[in-house]
Amino acid sequence: MTAATTSAPVTTRPGAPKPKTRTSVAGPLSQHHFVLRRLHSLSGIVPVGLFVIGHLFTNAQMIWQDNGETFQHEVEFIHSIPALLFIEIALWSAIAFHAGLGLYYTFSGKGNVAAYSYGDNIRYSLQRWTGVIALVFIFFHIATLRWRWDILGLWDTPFYYKGYSVPGMEEQFPALANVPLSAPLTAYALQYSVWVALLYLVGVVAVVFHWSNGLWTAAISWGLTISTGAMKKWGYVCIGLFVALMVFFGAAFVGSLRYDFDAMTPQQKAATLFTVGDGQWAFDDKERLETDLASIGMEAVLLPPEDADETGAAGDERPIVEPSETPGVADDAADHGGDAAH
Amino acid sequence: MIAPATPKTFKVRIKRQDGRDQPAYWQEFEVERRPSQNIIAVLQQIAANPVTTAGEQVEPVVWDSGCLEEVCGSCTMVINGHVRQSCSALVPDLLEDADDNTITVEPMTKFPVVRDLFVDRQRMFDNLVKVKAWVPIDGTHDLGEGPKESPEKQQERYAISRCMTCGCCLEACPQFTLDNDFLGAQAIAQAYYFNEHETGKKLKGERLEALAGPGGVADCGNAQNCVKVCPKEIPLTEAIAKAGRQLTVHAVKKFFTGK
Ligand code: SF4
Ligand code: SF4
Ligand code: FES
Repeated sequence: MTAATTSAPVTTRPGAPKPKTRTSVAGPLSQHHFVLRRLHSLSGIVPVGLFVIGHLFTNAQMIWQDNGETFQHEVEFIHSIPALLFIEIALWSAIAFHAGLGLYYTFSGKGNVAAYSYGDNIRYSLQRWTGVIALVFIFFHIATLRWRWDILGLWDTPFYYKGYSVPGMEEQFPALANVPLSAPLTAYALQYSVWVALLYLVGVVAVVFHWSNGLWTAAISWGLTISTGAMKKWGYVCIGLFVALMVFFGAAFVGSLRYDFDAMTPQQKAATLFTVGDGQWAFDDKERLETDLASIGMEAVLLPPEDADETGAAGDERPIVEPSETPGVADDAADHGGDAAH
Repeated sequence: MIAPATPKTFKVRIKRQDGRDQPAYWQEFEVERRPSQNIIAVLQQIAANPVTTAGEQVEPVVWDSGCLEEVCGSCTMVINGHVRQSCSALVPDLLEDADDNTITVEPMTKFPVVRDLFVDRQRMFDNLVKVKAWVPIDGTHDLGEGPKESPEKQQERYAISRCMTCGCCLEACPQFTLDNDFLGAQAIAQAYYFNEHETGKKLKGERLEALAGPGGVADCGNAQNCVKVCPKEIPLTEAIAKAGRQLTVHAVKKFFTGK
């Protein structure tokens, strides 16, 4: 096929209707098409990708069954990064940009795995599906664990909220200030229900697949791997990264699911109970829980459903720990619903 | 032991359409087996006796073909769900992995149907114009000897030169649809082909601008179906990656020099 003319006019078969003007992207998007596409690629790999690697590595520390000390150390390191809010905003912008454009691009193509079931084609479709799953998962993950949204009242799982716990705890119980809670609260979230654990498994696999596959295709798009051999080799590197990240996740996952609440310090126990509300199920050894709490002058208020009305605290799950008779631990122990006052 | 006798006939299900933008419908024909029959031969047999299995006398099926030896690309159709040239699609092979002794033949879905199995592949040729897939010599004056081409480059380019504009790569591409503006593997590969030609290089900048625009290389989703279905075994994904590299370099240069 060699055309050797200077200017071939656009020919149209006689009788053929004029071809429709085809534009894939409207207005300003089409003007900067190439740059936007490359930024889309970059925004997925660098800010989001690097953060996810760091995040998974940090969480992998959950595997050390040391009362979450190593993990707590890592978390505190992250929270000590100056201008963390700035980083968070940058990350959110990157995710929003990547997801917005990604969703748009996803719907501009038309998967055809049924007709052409090649491995690469399946990967192409998976990349689009995992992108959508990852977006939903990341939002859910951050909304529940970081912003502490109780989505539809289904999952009130507090996490690293304003320092160490829910507002009011430290004023109410000065003894519980600065208790390391990152590990128990993470573990609590994962042990909360099989569904949560399953959601995390699917969500993280989607995120990690999306990232490592994106790294593979980006190398082609940017023109780094230009031969089939190079694409293959880079593919092995990407598979390696996928496996490594899944190992990190596996460590975090297993660590969280096997986290031993009973082995925590009395302060950790009290603060965990205060923070997570209805969290007594997490403790296997209820007797030990009681003695531990007693040792710091507190007791767990067990709220079996039938007694809920009598205690008058049915609608308000906190505090679930309160000082026992020992005065001085807190002045306003009776003021159950007193959060608002602080 | 007696092997089961091969049936003397087989069925062909054909997706038909009376004209542009008309509704499509299916018809089934029973065709006699003949030695070394290809799909074009089958269509000729049907044309000689256009009666459906329901006994209805119909218009003969319309199709496009030329070379009959898989070099012109005009006879491309979707046969048993897979895009390929009908002139090189042999009935015995097709029946071997078909259920119930039936072969299905459809027009390509990524191009407007002119009639029945005949599609309008004009978009591919328009795309070649968009990416200026030619060597800019107009023959008005003697340019002297052309620049030397290295054998390695010749080899690389030869592979891409075999493209017959058949459309298989576009039919199988999830990013190429009937109504979007993606150039597709064929035009991208040809743009790269002429960028690498010593004289064709003169238009490299313009070609890259076309490849950077809407529907350009960046729209490729790396599904890599194109390279698997290309009957000419053109290393399309490599060509796409190389065009991507040229674009990266071009964009960086443009960023720093403003040109
Ligand atoms: S690699 Fe995939 S998306 Fe790109 S042109 Fe080929 S088939 Fe289409
Ligand atoms: S690149 Fe291959 S599949 Fe595509 S039009 Fe050319 S010959 Fe056909
Ligand atoms: S008729 Fe030319 S490729 Fe089939």
